[in-house]
Amino acid sequence: MVFKSNIGVAIMVTVIAVALAVMELAIGSFPVDIFRFPVNILAMALWLTLLIVAYKQRATSRFARFMLSQRAVWLSFTLIAAIGIALGLERKPSSDAWVVVASILFILSHLIFITLRGWRTARGIRWRFTLLHLGLIFALGAGFWGAPDREQLRIAVDSEPNDEAYTMSGKPRILNYALTLEDYDIRLDESGMPEHYEAQIGINNERHTIRVNHPYERSWQEKIYLISIGEDTSGERYCILEIVREPWQWLSMTGIVMLIAGAVMMFVGGPRRSNNDKTTVRE
Amino acid sequence: MMLGWNIFPFVAAVVAVLAVAGAVVALIRRERSVLAIGLMCAAIIAMLTFIAMLWFTLQRPPLRTMGETRLWYSFFLLVAGLLTYARWHYRWIMSFATLLAGVFMLINILKPEIHDQSLMPALQSVWFVPHVSVYMFSYALLGCATLLSVVALARRRGDLNAAIERLLYGGIAFLSIGMLTGSLWAKEAWGAYWSWDAKEAWAAATWGLYLLALHIAPTKATGRNTAYHVVIILGFLALQMCWYGVNYLPSAAESVHTYNQ
Repeated sequence: MVFKSNIGVAIMVTVIAVALAVMELAIGSFPVDIFRFPVNILAMALWLTLLIVAYKQRATSRFARFMLSQRAVWLSFTLIAAIGIALGLERKPSSDAWVVVASILFILSHLIFITLRGWRTARGIRWRFTLLHLGLIFALGAGFWGAPDREQLRIAVDSEPNDEAYTMSGKPRILNYALTLEDYDIRLDESGMPEHYEAQIGINNERHTIRVNHPYERSWQEKIYLISIGEDTSGERYCILEIVREPWQWLSMTGIVMLIAGAVMMFVGGPRRSNNDKTTVRE
Repeated sequence: MMLGWNIFPFVAAVVAVLAVAGAVVALIRRERSVLAIGLMCAAIIAMLTFIAMLWFTLQRPPLRTMGETRLWYSFFLLVAGLLTYARWHYRWIMSFATLLAGVFMLINILKPEIHDQSLMPALQSVWFVPHVSVYMFSYALLGCATLLSVVALARRRGDLNAAIERLLYGGIAFLSIGMLTGSLWAKEAWGAYWSWDAKEAWAAATWGLYLLALHIAPTKATGRNTAYHVVIILGFLALQMCWYGVNYLPSAAESVHTYNQ
């Protein structure tokens, strides 16, 4: 019943948003860590199965018809804009808030419904439709389902080997390799601004150069970034490194490349109109 | 300096004459003009030749200083203007691209001190120039779509819908490419494709609003749709927040997108 009118949808969204806000106040942010591998894979498989079953019942299911309706289109994009504005006004934005997690899950679910229908029915724009929608599912889905597996660590490195890094919340983590600062180079321009800086890092007796925009790729899921360079009060050189482990990064990258290809096709193809140029084929 | 910035005023004059001639021909001719395309191609080749000479003289890619970056802006703006004219035949677009490119060439001539001013290390990336110039071009197209939407709302007619929709498609395509190249760059610079930083959050709001407009576009070429035009205007307001408005918010203090230069 609630899916049949704009007011019904607005009431439903308001009730859910209030319930999520109460939950946020009662138990804090969404417990992302619970969904670490393999729980996230199992949850994602269950979610996809439920969506496909619901899609197959679209002839009779009000929920499925709502997810394929123009109201759901309005809701999805309004949620993206609302999340953007809310987080854009926050000093320290948290994407782990219950309402943000629920909104992204809804947007992803809506995208799956639209993609399942559209890849067959998007006449004349099938390739660009598929690249844009599937690319967004990959990019957004990898960020969403992969977030629990993402690890961001900081470590201070000097001439002595160090394997103790810290999470962003200050918890220690022992690495399975040690890092040393072998050398560094800073060049200033005439106005005294840093023009270039880089660090020579020793990783298990191998020497690698790291500089801004040029991280060291230690494995398929791990990169090491240079954050800063300096000298402590005793004159010893040190640098701060950031270690990012992100197993889902390649799915994100695939989605982004698909989206770029789709955007190029969108520019080249433009709006598609029927033969008499009176009506537009919807995306 | 051998064949470097010392000859840039002459090169800029040649590029300006060719680009202005191409833009004027495009404005005058009702049909897509091969002459206009040829003149703009010549301007682009002249600019590209200078960039290649500068690259050879400096013995490094000219991507490090403020002056070098502005050179690439001018180049990409002319390229984007030419591509959009060739594809969509907007008669005014090459004039707009020439004007914007001209501003950057003029800054390089009037402020020679920036030729050697370093770009901060975080901005020294192959992604910088395409990311910024693609964004600037999308802002131009979306700005035009907004103006037409205001006119459409005032006239209470839908006869501008086809033009608005074309501008919207081009603008959103460039906006998306700008945002996505930015996310690839962010991964190399900071380790995350997307981090809901204040600027990124406003970019998402802008993108969401423009995509909403795209999906609720009137299906009939002359159909009236007030919500469609209002959403386009809201999208442009969000874009202003993303571009420079965010710098005035308290959230900008924590933003990694805050640069001192």
